[in-house]
Amino acid sequence: MTTVEHATAATDVSVARLPARVAKWSLDHAIFSMLLVFVVVFAIVSPAFGSLSNGRVILLAASASALLAMGEAFVILTGGIDLSVGSVVGLSGVAAALAAHNSGSAAVATVVAVAVGLAAGLFNGLVVAFARVPPFIVTLGSMTIALGVGQVLSHGSPVSGLPERFIAIANNSYGGIPVPVMIMVVAFLVLWLLLARTGFGMHVYAVGGNPLAARIAGINERRILLAVYTLAGVLAGLAGLILASRVTAGIATTGTGYELDAIAAVVIGGISLMGGRGSIAGALIGVLIIATLNNGLDILNVSPFYQDIVKGILIIAAVFVDVRVAHRTER
Amino acid sequence: MAATSPAVECREVRKSFGGVPVLTDVSVSFDAGTVNVLAGENGAGKSTLLNMIAGLLAPDAGSISIAGQEIGHFDPSVAHRHGVSFIPQELAPLPDMRVEENVLLGRAPRSRFGLIDRAAMTRSAGELLAQFGIDIDPRTPMRRLPVALTQIVEIAKAIGWESSVLLMDEPTAAISERETERLFTVIRRLRERGVCVVYTTHRMAEIEVIADTVCVLRDGSLVSNGPATDYTERDIVTAMIGRQMGNLFPARAPAPEQKPMLALEALRPAGAPEPVTLSVRPGEIVGLAGLVGAGRTELLEGIFGVRPAKGRVLVDGRAVRLGVPHAAIAAGIALVPEDRKNAGLVLELSTTDNTILPHLSKYLRGRTFINRRTGQREAETVAERVNLQRSNASRPVRTLSGGNQQKVVIARWLLADMRVLLLDEPTRGVDVGSRAEIYRIISQLAAAGVAVLLASSELDEVINLTHRILVMRQGRVAGEIQHDGMTDAAVKERILRLAMGLNSTDPHAERASA
Repeated sequence: MTTVEHATAATDVSVARLPARVAKWSLDHAIFSMLLVFVVVFAIVSPAFGSLSNGRVILLAASASALLAMGEAFVILTGGIDLSVGSVVGLSGVAAALAAHNSGSAAVATVVAVAVGLAAGLFNGLVVAFARVPPFIVTLGSMTIALGVGQVLSHGSPVSGLPERFIAIANNSYGGIPVPVMIMVVAFLVLWLLLARTGFGMHVYAVGGNPLAARIAGINERRILLAVYTLAGVLAGLAGLILASRVTAGIATTGTGYELDAIAAVVIGGISLMGGRGSIAGALIGVLIIATLNNGLDILNVSPFYQDIVKGILIIAAVFVDVRVAHRTER
Repeated sequence: MAATSPAVECREVRKSFGGVPVLTDVSVSFDAGTVNVLAGENGAGKSTLLNMIAGLLAPDAGSISIAGQEIGHFDPSVAHRHGVSFIPQELAPLPDMRVEENVLLGRAPRSRFGLIDRAAMTRSAGELLAQFGIDIDPRTPMRRLPVALTQIVEIAKAIGWESSVLLMDEPTAAISERETERLFTVIRRLRERGVCVVYTTHRMAEIEVIADTVCVLRDGSLVSNGPATDYTERDIVTAMIGRQMGNLFPARAPAPEQKPMLALEALRPAGAPEPVTLSVRPGEIVGLAGLVGAGRTELLEGIFGVRPAKGRVLVDGRAVRLGVPHAAIAAGIALVPEDRKNAGLVLELSTTDNTILPHLSKYLRGRTFINRRTGQREAETVAERVNLQRSNASRPVRTLSGGNQQKVVIARWLLADMRVLLLDEPTRGVDVGSRAEIYRIISQLAAAGVAVLLASSELDEVINLTHRILVMRQGRVAGEIQHDGMTDAAVKERILRLAMGLNSTDPHAERASA
């Protein structure tokens, strides 16, 4: 085939063969297409699923997980991993609840939650970047430490009796949109800009894609690593605040296992665990897929045990599809 | 029949990837006991052909026979059974295992109880290695071997399978000329044993030395095939690129007498035994020759700050902070590293992003947001200067050929005010066409006043591109050669003598480095 024929064939596709274009788009955006398919299928099978209020329920359920997954995405893009975010959720929730209980102020509680997350993230980042301990080990350690500190602070029982203003943080809505959903949307926009449009974002990809080449390009790898772990910590602190406010208590074990959900969402969202490839939108879509699936199966009265099985299959299938798509475009 | 059939016979072999033809109706055969060189530019289809004979890829049409038996099912294990061994360009040793374990991988001798017999393993691995003239303890960890030895160990591993066909993809790309000689000794020995050797190379000089037949591919077609004695180097290059080529090396412009642009004062990179003092004037191209492991890469890394170092680096008389690549870049030093895939480029990022990466701060609005439009425009300007074909600058740089990737690594430094250019094996694995362009760029930059330090194992490159040559051995500068007016053969001999530490009777060869 000559190049001339090739060119005309290409324009034909763009004008006439819409189904082919749809097929190509869906393959290129396999993860997003999967989300759409789930939504449509559930909406057809169960009328209750398609309602506006159910959409709100899904987004609300996804909001805290989304913060964790988006933070995790940054860490994984640098080729690292953060196992501590789940425990940090519990610890910052306990700290925020104690602060709210003692001060009566929602603002103080918010600052405390974010500060606790920041401190935990800074710790992870410093040890990973400067002491050169592998991220898996560092965050496995800090995961256990954060859980322990949370238990100590809360004396092993929920911190309750919280002021109304604290409870309002995550249970209020403005114009029908719950505050946690707003936080999620704003965080997504900011983080998307950060990753896709800033020099910092490109450095994150470079460090994850090829650390040595990044160094030779004059990038301060340590600063980037410190920043991504700190970011993940701050987002975990925010998630801890939201969850403590929603359940009206600070519980050290609230976030146990959430780190694995965050990693699952990131992986489903097409971000490479090897670092250097993926997008923040992928992480958000990954979270939404899991939330949609949980919600849809709940409505259909499927036992949570089966939901776990479905989620596990989904993780493996998503990566399988991703590998196939990557392979297809390679040549 | 078996006696007369060629060791490998390809008939009308055709292959395309995603609709793009890579090989079109290639028919060629290779006989037992011969060394056959596959020549061609990157993308000509050499590797694809080797991969098919090795059973890693199946042809879309046509057939392949090994010793007269047609291969029906393309699978590496089937090829193995037919006696075909393949050594890919990217070696795949197990670095944390011993040499003996690598050599005997999958067929380690067992003791009576079915456990691995360590003593027998060491013995038979040692015997095998001795056949290849390698005298190392088989219990050495693989990681400690230099690339050239790793390669010979891989060959030993492959030949250990009693193969009758040995395929090698660019076996000489990563090793120095001296080590190439050792590889050739091994290849000659195999030829005597009746093995059919097929290998690809970019180095023309090798063909004359080792090849029995030459087979030139261009754009997926076999354009020329015959006994090596029928070809001159020029014939082969002409067949490869499909046109007459001008001189590979541009004319050297004289370097003006000026005070040094780059000066190293007792610079001692971590791991080097002795400090190095040298200087390069603006417009001067200084060659760094030496064997693999002589400390050239370490020296360049020390200058650029990728490797910690003691001593002083001065650019235009001003000291540069050591150990910080960022400071080196700010001082106008550019590094084109030895291994572009591992050190030079972020393969998942686009061509544009890779180009602007070292200078990102210049393309930020409000010190935060990337100004992609400006970045792209300027990246395109420098891409034009290096003649980079820009099919799509937003695609990942891994989709480019080796020659084009190397142009990206060079182009990125044109974005800044470059004063010192450090090149480490800039044409390794780069096809002839791109090579000539890279040489042209280097000499243009020198003509514009850049001080160039060129480390290379390609002696022709070192001799023809530079104003003077420093030869390194064991981390120190063993001598300097002012080679103007000397014959190439004489310069080569001096380089090798200095590099190997042989006592020279020639008073000019050993000149103490200041």
